[in-house]
Amino acid sequence: MPIQVLPPDLAAKIAAGEVIERPASVVKELVENALDAGATTINVEIREGGQRLIRVADNGCGIPAAEAEIAFARHATSKLQSVDDLSRIRTLGFRGEALPSIAAVTHITFLTRSNTESAGIYLRLEAGELVSRESRGAPAGTIITAEHLFYNIPARRKFLRRPATEAGYIQEIVTRYTLAYPERRFRLEVDGRITFQAPGTGKMEDALIAVYGVDTARQMLLLPQAAAAEGDTPEQVELEVAGFVGPPSLHRANRKDLTFFVNHRWIQDRSLAFAVQEAYHTLLPVGRYPVGVITISIDPAAVDVNVHPSKNEVRFLAPHHVFSAVQRAVRRVVVEESGIPQITFSPASDPWHDTTAFGGHSRAANLRVSSAPSASQPAYTRLALDLHRPLDSPLSLPGAESAQSDLPLQFEPHEEAQKLPFLRVVGQVSKSYIIAEGPEGMYMIDQHAAHERILYEQFMAQRGHGPVASQALLEPVVVHIPPAQVEFAVESVEILAGLGFHLEPFGGDTFLLRTLPALIQHSQPVSLLLDVLQELEEERPTTVHQEREAALTRAVCKRAAVKAGQTLNVAEMSALIQHLESCAQPRTCPHGRPTMIHLSNGQLEREFGRR
Amino acid sequence: MKISCLQENLAKGLSIVGRAVAPRSTLPVLSNILLETDRGRLKLSATNLEIGINCWVGAKVLEEGAVTVPARLLSDFVASLPSDQIDMDLNPRTQTLNLRCLRYEANIKGIDAQEFPPIPTSVDGGQMYLEPDTLHEMINQVTFAAATDESRPILTGVLVNSNGNRLTFVATDGFRISVRGSDLAQVNSQGQPNREMNVIIPARALIELGRISGDQTEPISVTITESRNQVIFQLSNITLVSQLIEGTFPPYQQIIPKNSETRTVVNTQELLKGVKIASLFARDAAHIVRLQIKPGSDLTPGSMVIRATAAEVGDNVSELDAMVEGKEVEIAFNAKYLLDVLGVISAERTVLQTVNPLKPGLFNPLGSDDFIYVIMPMQVTR
Repeated sequence: MPIQVLPPDLAAKIAAGEVIERPASVVKELVENALDAGATTINVEIREGGQRLIRVADNGCGIPAAEAEIAFARHATSKLQSVDDLSRIRTLGFRGEALPSIAAVTHITFLTRSNTESAGIYLRLEAGELVSRESRGAPAGTIITAEHLFYNIPARRKFLRRPATEAGYIQEIVTRYTLAYPERRFRLEVDGRITFQAPGTGKMEDALIAVYGVDTARQMLLLPQAAAAEGDTPEQVELEVAGFVGPPSLHRANRKDLTFFVNHRWIQDRSLAFAVQEAYHTLLPVGRYPVGVITISIDPAAVDVNVHPSKNEVRFLAPHHVFSAVQRAVRRVVVEESGIPQITFSPASDPWHDTTAFGGHSRAANLRVSSAPSASQPAYTRLALDLHRPLDSPLSLPGAESAQSDLPLQFEPHEEAQKLPFLRVVGQVSKSYIIAEGPEGMYMIDQHAAHERILYEQFMAQRGHGPVASQALLEPVVVHIPPAQVEFAVESVEILAGLGFHLEPFGGDTFLLRTLPALIQHSQPVSLLLDVLQELEEERPTTVHQEREAALTRAVCKRAAVKAGQTLNVAEMSALIQHLESCAQPRTCPHGRPTMIHLSNGQLEREFGRR
Repeated sequence: MKISCLQENLAKGLSIVGRAVAPRSTLPVLSNILLETDRGRLKLSATNLEIGINCWVGAKVLEEGAVTVPARLLSDFVASLPSDQIDMDLNPRTQTLNLRCLRYEANIKGIDAQEFPPIPTSVDGGQMYLEPDTLHEMINQVTFAAATDESRPILTGVLVNSNGNRLTFVATDGFRISVRGSDLAQVNSQGQPNREMNVIIPARALIELGRISGDQTEPISVTITESRNQVIFQLSNITLVSQLIEGTFPPYQQIIPKNSETRTVVNTQELLKGVKIASLFARDAAHIVRLQIKPGSDLTPGSMVIRATAAEVGDNVSELDAMVEGKEVEIAFNAKYLLDVLGVISAERTVLQTVNPLKPGLFNPLGSDDFIYVIMPMQVTR
């Protein structure tokens, strides 16, 4: 076949494919346009998952009648004049591809009136070709209706999901922008029903409530205002990190509820997500991910948004600087605020009639465990979100723009928040939990999780001073490592030695174990080692040295810690609690499960009807 | 059953057999003590199915019979009675034992003696006879080195090996090993040669044996039952029966170092004291105690410096005079393992033989090769 230039309609379709993948992409482009146009109210309407119809109406600046057609020409934009502008870009769009791409694959109806003109203009395009143009009365702003998405690309249409799924993607887009622009009013209508509405009050709190619901939003922690460039190296750029993150007790099964905005642009970045996840290091259960909305304000010159046509990826000039700033900010607030989960008895205290209390909860019927930041104060005074507090200035970027000094909340690090009070052992329940009394009421401590935490911190403390001390065995023990784990074991010999397991390859799957970590006088070194290796094999650890070392340490602690179901005497329990008291982070085990639950005197009194 | 005996005899007998009672057993009868008339005496028995103890107490038997009664209640009650004659009378229909001592009287409900597991008692001539003092010392010097948890059952036992002339006790927990030997008399008190023996006895049983044999003067006979699964220690008026641990004991001779680079002789008590002090600091540092051994010159004696450092607590140094032959060495041990051995060396001076910081250290009392204790060092890179 001879080489030939593709006909324009085919080229347009191919190009459109990059920008428009699914109905949600159309919504994204149109909403971004509306935001760039300065609209304060944005209504999105979809039918049949957006395939039948997508309508975005805004009250933005509109397009003058004379420029309306040009808007649908490829690479036509008002947002950019010269190449230099590209590095200063503050608008969401700039490529001039959105409208032509949408027009190439849909039937578009376009009604707009610039706020400087008295009459609006109405356009209708099919497959990018203008079929009708007339002057019409219209409110200031733009109403774009894109119908019959992919009508001319059956292949794409085939790959669309069920309408409900596509509607879900669209809702995700709209909610993301709600979080990025809390001062704008958003409304989403799906098949004639309003499914999402944001008040546009300018308060991040209201946006969070609209997106996550009151319960979740109330728990979210405000990031401290910080993280400006530290100025140690001149090339580092000014940046500000703000937003809200969930406490460690709030977690999800995937990273979807971790949202990042760079200069108001929603982006997806695995490294950033990982940085935040690392901030929750050891505080979250394995395989769970934090919740958070993090906005990064950075000099546009220090970030390249022109990476992909869909613009949900960016490149930072100094990625590590950005990641560590984010991580520091999150870590600070998370470590401060990670409290002992408190038992709350649900108000509907008649479990026999309250069927919802049983709804899929694995915990006791009407017990809910929530997190309260501090043991010493009533749960609600310390919450980051004071829902009824009037705010003078709109908080579009909390922490970044409005000064936080007027907040009646403390965000200064308070060391004692982590420390345990002195606890007196009362007894043991189910051979698994230690009941202890403290000045603030009753504490239920998971003996395994607590011991794990203690061992972990002891290991880490020793690690700080060099290799961990090891106790040599009288006779080296012969260990047969299952074939699947041999490679991993060989690779990890050095790390294991650092932890106190001196393992010597002895040919094939046979190894000689010469020493054990001195901290762990385990009676069955071989099974301990095999358990650790097996667990890590399931976990599929990375090859990164530090991570693997941390994973190994956690696994060793987990295996060596007292198990649930082991009877402990009072002296052992006291010793355990004493050690726990001296831990830096006694509240969670290294895998992020809580080590203890607190039931305050006040709660006890309430439950017994004394108050 | 109707018998009378003296309070102090009964109280003592109860305290001896009480050591074998299983306090929280799923089998209720194991929390009881069996009282049984036996050839004009009262026989007390208790067992936890691992070890069993029989004890005979002098008594006036008026009517034969047997019953089991709760151990704790009976012991505590008898112990608080005045020192006088106790009359016991069993009501066989209700299995209730009536006890009367002066103006104190009690009825204790029991369980039928038929339910009590039998404990072998009859021994006609032992296979080996041991002097109680020697046995006592051997038990003390060896049992502490046995493992305390059940994961490797063999290591919770003590290897008892005899070739007829020499008896050896060995115990190890995988980190240290304790070996104590003793020569046997050519012919024992019964005029019979001692027989060969190679069994593993639970350390717990030997510890109990050590406790109850404290005031014994007669040689103690040792018998392995024909089925080779039990050992019977026959003392005067007491028998202790224990299950044996089946299996093969680790080949311990290979572990004991044959030669050394440094031989250090120190005062046992001084070393014990130094290690005790160091252990206070070692508590928070994985129990690591460092011994720094320096040979002396013509004019100055050699020295041993004992050192413990805990990063967050502090550190401590003590120095002892020592006779050092060989080269300088620094070696680290677990404080607990050191304290264990130093507490059971009665000789005034102790010898420590070392090769290098990675090779085991060998302790034994100066002037005797009967007792050998080997500890694996700890490895710490600084």
